[in-house]
Amino acid sequence: MSLSLKAKVSSNEPVGPEIYLLSLEAPAIADAARPGQFVMLRVSPGPEPLLARPFSIHGADGGKLLILYQVKGKGTKLLTQACPGSELLTWGPLGRGFDLTAERPLLVAGGMGVAPIAFAIEYLCNKFDEVRLLCGVAGTVRHEALIKLFAGRLGSARVKIRYSSEDGSIGRKGLVTDLLKEHFSTSQPLKPDTVLACGPLPMLKAVALLCAEFEVACQTSLEAPMACGVGACLGCAIPAAGGGYLRACQEGPVMEASLVDWEKI
Amino acid sequence: MSPATDMAVTVGGVRLANPVLAASGTFGYGREYSPYLEPGAIGGLVTKGVSLQPRAGNPPPRIVETACGMLNAIGLANVGLDEFLAHKLPWLTEQPGAVVVNLYGESVGEFAELAQRLGAQPGVDALELNVSCPNVKEGGMAFGCHPGAVGEVTAAAVAGAQGKPVWVKLTPNVSDPAPMALAAAQAGAQAVSLINTLLAMAIDAGTRRPKLANVVGGLSGPAIKPVGLRMVWQVASALKAEHPTVDVVGLGGIMSGIDAAEYLIAGAKAVQVGTASFTDPAAAGRIAAELAAYCTEQGVSAAELSGSLRV
Ligand SMILES: Cc1cc2nc3c(=O)[nH]c(=O)nc-3n(C[C@H](O)[C@H](O)[C@H](O)COP(=O)(O)OP(=O)(O)OC[C@H]3O[C@@H](n4cnc5c(N)ncnc54)[C@H](O)[C@@H]3O)c2cc1C
Ligand SMILES: Cc1cc2nc3c(=O)[nH]c(=O)nc-3n(C[C@H](O)[C@H](O)[C@H](O)COP(=O)(O)O)c2cc1C
Ligand code: FES
Repeated sequence: MSLSLKAKVSSNEPVGPEIYLLSLEAPAIADAARPGQFVMLRVSPGPEPLLARPFSIHGADGGKLLILYQVKGKGTKLLTQACPGSELLTWGPLGRGFDLTAERPLLVAGGMGVAPIAFAIEYLCNKFDEVRLLCGVAGTVRHEALIKLFAGRLGSARVKIRYSSEDGSIGRKGLVTDLLKEHFSTSQPLKPDTVLACGPLPMLKAVALLCAEFEVACQTSLEAPMACGVGACLGCAIPAAGGGYLRACQEGPVMEASLVDWEKI
Repeated sequence: MSPATDMAVTVGGVRLANPVLAASGTFGYGREYSPYLEPGAIGGLVTKGVSLQPRAGNPPPRIVETACGMLNAIGLANVGLDEFLAHKLPWLTEQPGAVVVNLYGESVGEFAELAQRLGAQPGVDALELNVSCPNVKEGGMAFGCHPGAVGEVTAAAVAGAQGKPVWVKLTPNVSDPAPMALAAAQAGAQAVSLINTLLAMAIDAGTRRPKLANVVGGLSGPAIKPVGLRMVWQVASALKAEHPTVDVVGLGGIMSGIDAAEYLIAGAKAVQVGTASFTDPAAAGRIAAELAAYCTEQGVSAAELSGSLRV
């Protein structure tokens, strides 16, 4: 059940250049949260900025709701100023999360896409001895802190991470889809049966295409501008494969890649 | 504590437990907001605009935030009448509060058919004709900018509605809304609601592209409240002189109980809360409670507050 509450900020710390980890006291939301779901967060109680911002749930830990966010514009900039003890109107958990019932899931994250993927990994670690993640970053300068945080939070020996970076500073030089292609080609017969992906749109598109080529099911976590987050405004339209539109906040944010019209998006 | 103030009103032929309704297109089909509002917290709701056939709506991006407001160009996406009757209305009918169905046709005949089929539904308390949507090519605002067309559409709907009250939702995209209101009243409307969104646009200077795929869209939110108040006052004054039994439902940028009170003072009998629900899913209920607190403090009932502007 979703609900709306004034969540007290317990911490809001920079963890990298323009990247912050926000922890909110929101037990009712945290307890109900599933990986891939999101919350709407009002960064200011006044009319400016007017709309709430959507953020994926990065973790839910002892009544605390974790959000990993990057400073993009005025809303996220304002959010960096939220002090411990202050309250932020928050509603959720919202939307459709990842389906975590696959036998051999493979996680793929690009940049800030690690935010929801990390939560999915926590779940999968309870189920599997080994969880595989392919993680693409621009370069370590930008993402070193993210990687550290990631390694810290997901430090479990069960998580096997392979990196790619555009500048070659960590892992394989190139895109995460290069890693994915290599993985598909070399992991026979234990090829993953499902890919769970979150990242920038061009990456998701490439991941969806690769998965189709290798006949692997693919779930993508998509972004769209949102006003309500609850399915009422119809603002968050994602072009659907069969024509028409799906709501990112309701039929998503996690959608089967085959349901999405990747040409029109 | 002072005795509870009487918040009940009768507006446009519909009895409401309190004068706050949720506005069309901002509250889905009601159920979307049920986790966030106490049952009975608001007087009722106006549904997303229903058309005869389902509509997919405009390509994205459909919404963009602006200073103290937002633009939308949804394009009246909706599930269509059959799906609405089969799967949306039954749940709504079970809830406390009035159900006003907003409807949209591309021709006078479509408005009449919608009014007829919806008017026959016992769970529907009133119909609200959308003759003011700025985001569709056919019908919509085209009907709402000419008194003759407003009158024709209203008369056709009233004839089809089998006695069910008909409200007409007016556009602010005219220099004077009073002639449209008078035409609706003359044709048998029991209330007019205003304002719909203001036709507007937003541009990304970096890319020199419009921020909406539809290029233009409708502005809503606190930025438009002064326009809404002015138009409600103009229309209420005109109706009082010529059609005193026809009510005004005021909306546009209502974010608080005080905003709602201002609309009642300007001459509205009831109000609708739109964009505010996006900024806080419990907003409509909170606004109803704040309005009741204001009325208690002022020692007036909601009905007495209506039209009490001291000029
Ligand atoms: C389901 C979902 C989950 C998300 N999860 C995260 C997360 O975990 N961490 C994170 O850092 N970011 C996440 N985002 C993106 C985040 O919502 C935007 O970066 C943020 O809204 C930008 O707000 P701003 O005021 O700083 O930027 P501005 O550019 O000033 O925002 C202006 C408007 O555009 C909208 N907007 C801007 N960028 C986006 C975007 N990429 N997607 C959707 N709307 C946008 C804003 O909501 C706002 O209405 C998520 C988006 C969605 C839809
Ligand atoms: C996303 C969105 C969708 C809307 N859809 C409809 C609609 O289907 N029919 C209608 O009559 N008005 C529609 N409206 C207009 C609102 O009901 C209301 O008139 C307007 O937003 C002004 O009120 P507000 O400032 O409180 O939002 C819509 C508004 C928004 C923001
Ligand atoms: S954000 Fe309003 S319907 Fe999805």
